[in-house]
Amino acid sequence: MHRYKFVLYRPLQFLPVLLGISIITFVLVRLIPGDPARVLLGTKSTPAAIAAIRAQYGLDQPIWLQYLYFLQNLAHGEMGKSILYKIDVLRLITTRIEPTLALVLCSVLLSLVIAVPLASLAARSNGGPADHAVRFISTFGIGFPPFWLALMLIIFFSVRLDLFPVSGYGENLADKLYHLILPSLTIALSLSTVLIRSLRTAMIAELKGDLATAARARGMPESVVFWRHVMPNSLVPTVNLLAVNIGWLIGGTVVVESVFALPGMGQLLVRAIFSRDYMVVQGVAMVFACATVLVNFIADIVTVAIDPRVKQ
Amino acid sequence: MSEALLSVRDLSVVFSGEDGPRTLIDNLSFDLGKGEILGLVGESGSGKSLTCRSLVRLMPSPKLKITAGTVTLDGRDITQVSEAEIRSVRGRDIGMIFQNPTSHLDPLMRIGDQIAEGIRVHRGVDGKEARAVALDILAQVGFPHPSRQYNGYPHEFSGGMRQRAMIGVALSCDPRILIADEPTTALDVTIQAQILRLLMDLRETRGLSVIMITHDLGIVAQTCDRIAVLRHGRLLEIGDKRDVLGQPQHPYTQNLIASHPSMPARQGTAVAPNDNAASKARPLIEIDDLHVRFPVTGRALFSGGPREFSAVKGVSLQVMPGETVGIVGESGSGKSTLARALLGLTPISEGHVAFDGADIVTERTKALRKLRRETAMVFQDPYNALNPRLTIGAMLAEVLAVQESVPKEKIPERIGELLDLVGLEREFADRKPLSMSGGQCQRAGIARALAVNPKLIVADECVAALDVTIQAQIVDLFRDLKKRLNLTLLFIAHDLAIVRSLCERVVVMYHGEIVEEGATDKVFAAPREAYTRALIDAIPDIDPDKPLLSPKGGEEFDEETPGLVTGEAT
Repeated sequence: MHRYKFVLYRPLQFLPVLLGISIITFVLVRLIPGDPARVLLGTKSTPAAIAAIRAQYGLDQPIWLQYLYFLQNLAHGEMGKSILYKIDVLRLITTRIEPTLALVLCSVLLSLVIAVPLASLAARSNGGPADHAVRFISTFGIGFPPFWLALMLIIFFSVRLDLFPVSGYGENLADKLYHLILPSLTIALSLSTVLIRSLRTAMIAELKGDLATAARARGMPESVVFWRHVMPNSLVPTVNLLAVNIGWLIGGTVVVESVFALPGMGQLLVRAIFSRDYMVVQGVAMVFACATVLVNFIADIVTVAIDPRVKQ
Repeated sequence: MSEALLSVRDLSVVFSGEDGPRTLIDNLSFDLGKGEILGLVGESGSGKSLTCRSLVRLMPSPKLKITAGTVTLDGRDITQVSEAEIRSVRGRDIGMIFQNPTSHLDPLMRIGDQIAEGIRVHRGVDGKEARAVALDILAQVGFPHPSRQYNGYPHEFSGGMRQRAMIGVALSCDPRILIADEPTTALDVTIQAQILRLLMDLRETRGLSVIMITHDLGIVAQTCDRIAVLRHGRLLEIGDKRDVLGQPQHPYTQNLIASHPSMPARQGTAVAPNDNAASKARPLIEIDDLHVRFPVTGRALFSGGPREFSAVKGVSLQVMPGETVGIVGESGSGKSTLARALLGLTPISEGHVAFDGADIVTERTKALRKLRRETAMVFQDPYNALNPRLTIGAMLAEVLAVQESVPKEKIPERIGELLDLVGLEREFADRKPLSMSGGQCQRAGIARALAVNPKLIVADECVAALDVTIQAQIVDLFRDLKKRLNLTLLFIAHDLAIVRSLCERVVVMYHGEIVEEGATDKVFAAPREAYTRALIDAIPDIDPDKPLLSPKGGEEFDEETPGLVTGEAT
């Protein structure tokens, strides 16, 4: 069990990482040209009103002092007030986190459901027609950007066939999942192309490798060779690839949520950027960064669980 | 020999490549008797492994096909049976073990489960019963604590124990025939002796017939009943081992036997201690109480102080100019680390190393400059040590240009001289490593070492990856170069026989310490230390009447010394 000890001490290493992330997002957000007070007031802006707003949100303070206030608030579980929504950013985020979380989870699951069988099929017919077909599809998939894919899926499944809703998010669980099918399919199609390639390559190497030869030499049927020996050994590098791609995946949700009008964090982020809502942008960026760190942590745990050789 | 259990007749295997078919196994016929150990001997490319793969139709590539011949087992020709039938032959009738247990065992599966897997699939028994059988097998192959070790993963065991586990996996379905493909090549000599002993015991207790594939005639002499000599896919001769080893008929077999390092003819050429070298005032290498420690990787952040692994513990050694010193020891003994520390390639934790008077610790810059100009290294793997994109000429030119010891216009001439020195045709200057054999690549590697005009050459296991006949040629080359160029040679090897034939002085290392050193003939004739004795006794002698060391108990699996568990390449 000592191999799992890192689960206890690794989170301590996150603290400096998160501090670094907060500094970078804080400074970068302030480099965005434009003034939130001006955006907020719109046509009514007078120099006096702008100054009042700036004073109210602490924007007239030097940047390092603003950062210290931000840290102080963070310690109290607050991320500052949204300029646009007039409520605390953390509360705002909690109302928006569910669709995004559900979208990411569904996308990952769906991409595995797509990638594992297709990669297996391709690897086992290495060089055969099935392999060529899968490689063609996955190369094709890499070439298409998610926003285009999303529109095509809407046109085909929602407008033509009227199978799925065009946009929005449901009320109850079943309805929500129903609304999530097309958005997660969009992300899964892109993500699975990367997974298929990695998994297929690993499987082909394992199928030709010593491990498979030894299993065949003791009379194991090809199904046992594949599922008990080739598959677990090929999954190890793929789990890590999935973790590395999590940043890309989160970027994908921003686009997909906008296209499908899902009330998630991606949509919130886009709107916040346009309205120079500093507090929201940095809050969402912090949450995304934490999610990336967390997902990599989970991937490490999974790797240790699969591979007894790995010590963190 | 009793009636044949397995009978191979006129077996041919053809590779259909892009430039037409090539016959890799040509009309091969032999029998395997019940309870017999048959040695299949040959150098790389002789088709010995492919022959055995063909017996159970496990071709390494779909381009390989059995085109003719029969393999008869129990009255049926298994080259013709269905895929399902051959699967029940594999494992059940014919088990296989391989050279590299690390890559042939599943790293993600407990070794007990790997043994139980075959029992479940072949005998259709439930998990509990399979586990009981697997525990019994673990005990039979020499695991001292089967019920605990059942749950171990392959990486937790040493190389020898992994090979035992693989034998266990092969035995799980109680086969009558075991094909052992170079089963001990990757192991240390003392472990090799134990594994060979185990195979012979299993033959006794189970009436197992064994086909032993090996390049080492010593192993054949010690374990087999009959020998078949293969070359280029053809059977050159087959017969009782005493007949083949005593009166080899084919010139190739004669050459193979003559190349074996334990042959007296080769021992006789061992050089006598060099008196005039010993009388010189200053040693070329002075090592004084050297310690090299590595931090153990993967340590936890809060697990207490740093953990270290001592690879070299307090070694002192002096080497005179012109001397040839062999450093022997098993994997994890620290012999390679010692050489790397000497060349300034690894940090020194404690002690002093001086090369030609320059101390690597106190005058690092100066000593390193001197080392880079006056020493060279020859590596184990001749292919990986050469840049595949450079021709041999370009590679040598690069070294000569950097060293600036030869004027630019003279470089081509010097390349020619270097190739002459190592016995390569001058046309090799235009060739790349991939189009060369292992022996030719190693010669090129030696030429590169000579290009710096070194005072000292460190050769780290530089013949371990080569066939015996090639090994003998490379050792002869070193002997010749040493005489002509007055080189100091540090020859690191796990193979004592080669050191014995080449080196004047031998240093025996064990667990990072020097346990014995002295003139080669004295150490080999009358070793003072038990460990040296065990090492010497473990060498399989080519004379069948000099038996191997009697069996030792199984080793414990060792979690505390990483060097021993992971081992170095041998």
